[in-house]
Amino acid sequence: MTRSLVLPAGSGRFIAFLLLVVVVATAFTLAEPRFLSTQNISAVTRHMAANGLAALGLTLVVIVRKFDLSFAGTACFAAMTIGYLIALGQPLWISIPAGILVGAVIGAFNGVAISYFRLPDIVTTIATGSIAAGLAFVYSNGRTIFQNFMTSGILDLNDARVFGYSLSFVFLLGLYAVAWFFMHRTRYGASFYATGENPVAAYYSGVPIKHYTMLAFVACGMTSVFAVLLILAESGTADTNEGANLLMPAYAGVFLGTALLGRTSVLATLAGTFLITMLLDGFSLLGIPFYYSDGVVSAILLAGVVFFDARLRDLLGDIGTYLQPRSAKKETRA
Amino acid sequence: MAAPALRARAISKRFGPVNALSDVDFVLETGEVHALLGVNGAGKSTFIKILSGIYRKDEGVIEVGGEAIDCRDPKDAIRHGIATVQQHPELVADFSGYENIFLGREAMRPGLFSRIERGDLSKRAGALLKRFPVDIDLSKTIAEMSAVEREIVAILQALAGDHIRVLILDEPTSTLTEVEKTILFRLIDTLRQGGISVLYITHRLEEVMEIADRLSVFRGGRMVASMLVDEVRARNLSLAELMLGETLDHVFPPKAEPDAIGEEVLVVRDLTAGNSFANIGFALRRGEILGIFGLVGSGADEFAKALFGAIPVESGSIAIRGRPIAPRSPREALKEGIFLVPGDRRVEGLALTETSVFNITLANLKRASSAAGILKRTGNRRASTEFATRLALSPPNLSMPVSGFSGGNQQKIVVAKGLFAEADVYIFVEPTVGVDIGARAKLYGLMRELSRSAGVIVMSSDCDEVHGIADRTFALYKGRQISPPDGLQTRNRLLMAGIMGELSRD
Repeated sequence: MTRSLVLPAGSGRFIAFLLLVVVVATAFTLAEPRFLSTQNISAVTRHMAANGLAALGLTLVVIVRKFDLSFAGTACFAAMTIGYLIALGQPLWISIPAGILVGAVIGAFNGVAISYFRLPDIVTTIATGSIAAGLAFVYSNGRTIFQNFMTSGILDLNDARVFGYSLSFVFLLGLYAVAWFFMHRTRYGASFYATGENPVAAYYSGVPIKHYTMLAFVACGMTSVFAVLLILAESGTADTNEGANLLMPAYAGVFLGTALLGRTSVLATLAGTFLITMLLDGFSLLGIPFYYSDGVVSAILLAGVVFFDARLRDLLGDIGTYLQPRSAKKETRA
Repeated sequence: MAAPALRARAISKRFGPVNALSDVDFVLETGEVHALLGVNGAGKSTFIKILSGIYRKDEGVIEVGGEAIDCRDPKDAIRHGIATVQQHPELVADFSGYENIFLGREAMRPGLFSRIERGDLSKRAGALLKRFPVDIDLSKTIAEMSAVEREIVAILQALAGDHIRVLILDEPTSTLTEVEKTILFRLIDTLRQGGISVLYITHRLEEVMEIADRLSVFRGGRMVASMLVDEVRARNLSLAELMLGETLDHVFPPKAEPDAIGEEVLVVRDLTAGNSFANIGFALRRGEILGIFGLVGSGADEFAKALFGAIPVESGSIAIRGRPIAPRSPREALKEGIFLVPGDRRVEGLALTETSVFNITLANLKRASSAAGILKRTGNRRASTEFATRLALSPPNLSMPVSGFSGGNQQKIVVAKGLFAEADVYIFVEPTVGVDIGARAKLYGLMRELSRSAGVIVMSSDCDEVHGIADRTFALYKGRQISPPDGLQTRNRLLMAGIMGELSRD
C-alpha cells in the first residue's frame, strides 16, 4: 500500500523541506498578509541573492572540510575598494573586477596558507578577515563613500530586470546552475568531494588536494564580493559596515541546507539559503528587531542540525526505544 | 561435572528479514581457549555481540556458571563476568598503561581537591600483574607503546574486575607481528592457567592450531562444527573447508607459466630512503607476481609508498617500461602507470561515505570524464557494474556508501579502482588484512589475472601469503633486502629471512 509510490533516493528529505517552506510561509502570511505581496517577494529574492552568493563559495570550503571566517571582512574591503574607484571616477568595468580581484587575492592567500603551509583554517581566516576589515578604513578614513554612485551605473544592477525578475536573482540562479553542474557533473567537483571526504585516499588517488583546498578559498573570497556588490547597488553607498551581515546567513544557509538534504551540496545551500532568507525577511516584516531575529534564525539552525543529523537522530531513536514499554518493543521488531 | 563457564542454548537473532543467527548452541568450558571461526557474515560477530551485551538476543538462553543471565548492555555482561576486548580497543593515547587500565574507576581521594592516586593505581596494577604475569612497562603512555603492549593493556583493563571469568578477544592479532604474537599467546596461556575462559575470534587459521584448545565454526548464521583442536589435528581436517562448506582445493591460484613472463616493466636499483630502507633492487616482469615479505618495521610499507611517490627517496633509480622516472607524488606515479592498493584501505584507499562508482573512478578521473571534464555517468556505471560482477562484489549495490560493505568487499572496491586506473604495475600492501578466506581466494585469483597484463608486487607480513601467491620472493628485514643468491626460496627460508634477517641453509 505504502509501496505503490517509488520515489528516487533523497526525495523524502526534499519533500520535508518543501513542507517546511509551506509551513513557514503560511505562518508568516497569517501573521502579516503582506508577506505574499509582490513587493515582499521581490525583496526576498533580492536578499536571497546576496545571502546565496556568499553561501555558494562557502559551500565549496565546507565541502573540503574547512572553515572560512574571513569572507565578511574580505567583502568589506572589496566593497570599499569598489566604492573608492567609483569615487575616483573609474568606470564599472574597472572598479568591479578590481573588487573581485581583491576577493580572489585574499582567498588565495587563505588557501595557500591553509593548504600549502598547513596553518589552522579558523585562526588564519579570522586573522585575514580582521586585516581586510581594517584595510577597508584606509581609503576614506572610515567615512562612507557615495561620490559618483548615482552616475556610475552601479544602481542599475539593483534595478535591472530580466524576464520580469530582478537581475540579481537571475544572476544567482544562473551561477547556482553553473556551480551545480561543475560540482556534481564534472571530475573537478568529484575531486572537491574526494578532498573533503578523505584527503589521504584522495591524495593516493592522484587528486591534487592542495590545489582544490586553495581553489575553494578563492571561490569563497570571490563570491563574497559578488554578494557585497549587490548590497552596494541596493544602498548606493559603500561604508565600512558592508558585508558584516553576510557571515551568519551564509553559514546558516550551508549548514541548514546540509542538515535538511543530508549532505553539503550546491542544491542544499540553495534550499538552506531560501529558508533562512524567508525567515529573516518575515521577521523584519513583522517588525521584530534584527537582534532578535538573528538569534531566532541561529536557534533554528542549531535545531535543524540536531534534528536532521543522522547520528543524533539515531541517538534520539535509541532513547525512544528505551522509553517504549517492553511489549511495544517486541512488536516493532516483528 | 561442574557447569561450564558459559553455555548458550538455541540463540537466535534476526535483523529485519535476515537471520543473523539461528538456533546456536555453544559451550565454553572453564579455563579453555576457544577459537571462533567463520567467514565474514557467518554470524560470529553477532554471536559475540550478544554475549557481550551489545545486541540483545531474540530467542534462547545464556547461562554463566549454570545460571541464566539476561544482558541488556555491556555493563550487565561485565557484571556477570564476561569481558570483551574489541578489535581496535579504545585507549586514551596520552594516558599511561596504569591510568588506562583503571580508567573510570580511578582511586579518588575524597574531598574538594580530589585527584587520581597514582601510587594506589600502580599498586593495584601490580596486584593484577601478579595474577597474570606479563612483561610490560605500564608507566609508558599508550602512544609510546607497541601494538602488542596496547593489546595487553586492553586485556588487563578488561580483567581489572576480579570476578571476570570469560574473556572475549575479537581478532587480537590482526595488527601484530610474528614476534608480538608469541608475547600475546603467552599471556593467553597464563589466563588459561588462571582458570579464565578465553573466546577468541580470528581469521588466521594457523593461530588456531597454535593457541586454541577447542574451536567452533560458524557458517550462514549456524554453528556447523565444534570440536577439540586435537581432533582436527588427528583427523587432518581442513578448517578452511569447514568454514566455506565446500572443498577448497587451492586458496592460491597456480604460479605463472614460464612462457607467460614478458618484458621487464619495472626496474628498481639501489633505492634508498633514510632510515626506512636501503639499496633495494629488482626487476619486475610483465606476467609475474613478485612477493615481498616484511614485518611491521621492515620498511616494506615505506618502500611501497616510495615507489608510489608518496615518500621521497634519497638515492637509487626507478625505471618503468625502460624509462627512468622519479615520481614526486602519487599523481605522478599514477600517470606513469603505477597503482598502489594501500595497506590501510579505510584511511588510504576509500572515501567511505561515497558510492562504489565514485571510489572506483577516483584514481582515473580523466578516463571517467570527457575532454571537457564532464563525467560519463552511464559509462562509469557500466564499467563499475562490470568490475563488480567480475569481483563478485556483495552486495552488488553500486549506489550504497562503501562504508556499508564488509572488509573483503571494500578491498574489492579498491582493487576495482586499480583496474579502472589501468596501470602497468600494481603494488598490493597487506592485501588481505581483515578479509575472510572466501574473499581472500577471490583476491588472489584477481592478482594472478592482473599479472597476465601487468607486473604485480605483493607485500605482506603474512609469510604464507607471500610464498603462496608470488612467483619470486624476497624478504625485507629492518630496511635491508634479503634474497637468496641462488634465487631458490622455500617458505622457511623466506620466514627466517624476514624474522631474523638471515638466510638459512635448508
